[in-house]
Amino acid sequence: MNIENSIIIKNIGKKYNIAYQLGGYVALREVFANIFLNPFKFVKYKVKKIINLETKEEFWALRNINLEINKGDIVGIIGASGAGKSTLLKILTGITPPTEGEVILHGKVASLLEVGTGFHPEFTGRENIFLNGVILGMTKKEIINKFDKIIEFAGIDKFIDTPVKYYSSGMYVRLAFSVAVNMEPDILLIDEVLAVGDVEFKKKCLDKLEEVAKKEGRTILFVSHNIEIIQKLCKKTILMKSGKILLYGNTEEVINHYLEQNNEGFINDTNKTQ
Amino acid sequence: MQIPSDNVPYPIFVYVGLLFWQFFSGALLETSNVFIIDRGIITKIYFPRIILPISSVIIKCVDFAIASVILLGMMIYYGYTPHLTGILIMPVLLAITFIAAVGGGLFFATLNVKYRDVRYVLSFFIQLLLFLTPVIYPTSITAKYSFILVLNPLVGVIQNARAGLLGTAPINLSLVAISFFTSLVFLFISLIYFRKFEQYFADII
Repeated sequence: MNIENSIIIKNIGKKYNIAYQLGGYVALREVFANIFLNPFKFVKYKVKKIINLETKEEFWALRNINLEINKGDIVGIIGASGAGKSTLLKILTGITPPTEGEVILHGKVASLLEVGTGFHPEFTGRENIFLNGVILGMTKKEIINKFDKIIEFAGIDKFIDTPVKYYSSGMYVRLAFSVAVNMEPDILLIDEVLAVGDVEFKKKCLDKLEEVAKKEGRTILFVSHNIEIIQKLCKKTILMKSGKILLYGNTEEVINHYLEQNNEGFINDTNKTQ
Repeated sequence: MQIPSDNVPYPIFVYVGLLFWQFFSGALLETSNVFIIDRGIITKIYFPRIILPISSVIIKCVDFAIASVILLGMMIYYGYTPHLTGILIMPVLLAITFIAAVGGGLFFATLNVKYRDVRYVLSFFIQLLLFLTPVIYPTSITAKYSFILVLNPLVGVIQNARAGLLGTAPINLSLVAISFFTSLVFLFISLIYFRKFEQYFADII
């Protein structure tokens, strides 16, 4: 197994505390007021916290995730909403730390977690290419070298000098994707962003992703709800449910399993109504 | 009541202090909100978050530069020419204020992520701080409390700026050193606090 450019995930878990007691907006003034009005309650709460007796509602978004992904693989991730796919990508990017376990990434990571992040609405497309490229980790020289390729791939030559606040969501995706794909990262993480593109652009992206993975040997992790795209692009797929990995293997197998699972429920329901 | 101003016309006396005060308080207020305003990129892209407060303070430096031009005009009007040491010490004083602003701004910005009303509380706090800083009065009238006030890095900065530019007193290098030291301590504490909580920003924001 080629160690270079692979992703190794060891026993990752991610826990969220559902802080229902404090509500969404915590104000410092309220905290101080509570200390003065109910000093005993505050002391009890603090002591409980220290001894760890506090009643917390915990939610494990991910638990016991173990994965090894080889260099040059295109791996799809599918699963129901709330299965933890985006959380996994966020942990891989480094935006949020895992509660337990560790992740080892060999190589530079670029991620597309949302369309047009890092785009400044007042800047033109041209200026945003620089902005986005730098945020994703390219040097200015690199961007200048790739500039023409990026504009060509995005296919929005006429509008490259208008501020991006006037772009449609499709144009956003084209530009964002174009910058990320031309970045030459070793590992590319994509989270459901192709939903907005049109058929022609989706095809262009898929072709480019295939080329990037096969010819240049980069690893791609692709989260999507679109079964067709996963079938076309990914040789291996991961099926996730409720924060755990159900299956990791051949795309055909995993997709059949996924569809069977969902159809089972469907058929049972229709039987009941009859 | 006439506030004594060390034999210097009151307007220019205040303005030297105001120059540094505006920079510091403006930076503090602006930086305290910096993680909330840019919550979009914090939750979606990985980059060293410390860039945000530093860039926020750097923006205030531009304001400082523009305000300095006004100071220059005032000095010409009142006929003050500073010594060479007075001019040389200005960048040092600016650096100290910069460090203090980043330290304070970073601390309140991190606190603001957890308790969202910090930036509102901060405006009142800054008003209070204005009276603890010798902007509208000279340090000479606070001689009794000087050993506490010296903890405020701006005290050393403003007093020495006045000494350097207006010749109100000889430049007190030990005071500069104390200010430098206290602002470094603030920065250090803020950095520790920031480092501890930085990783959880994406979850709380």
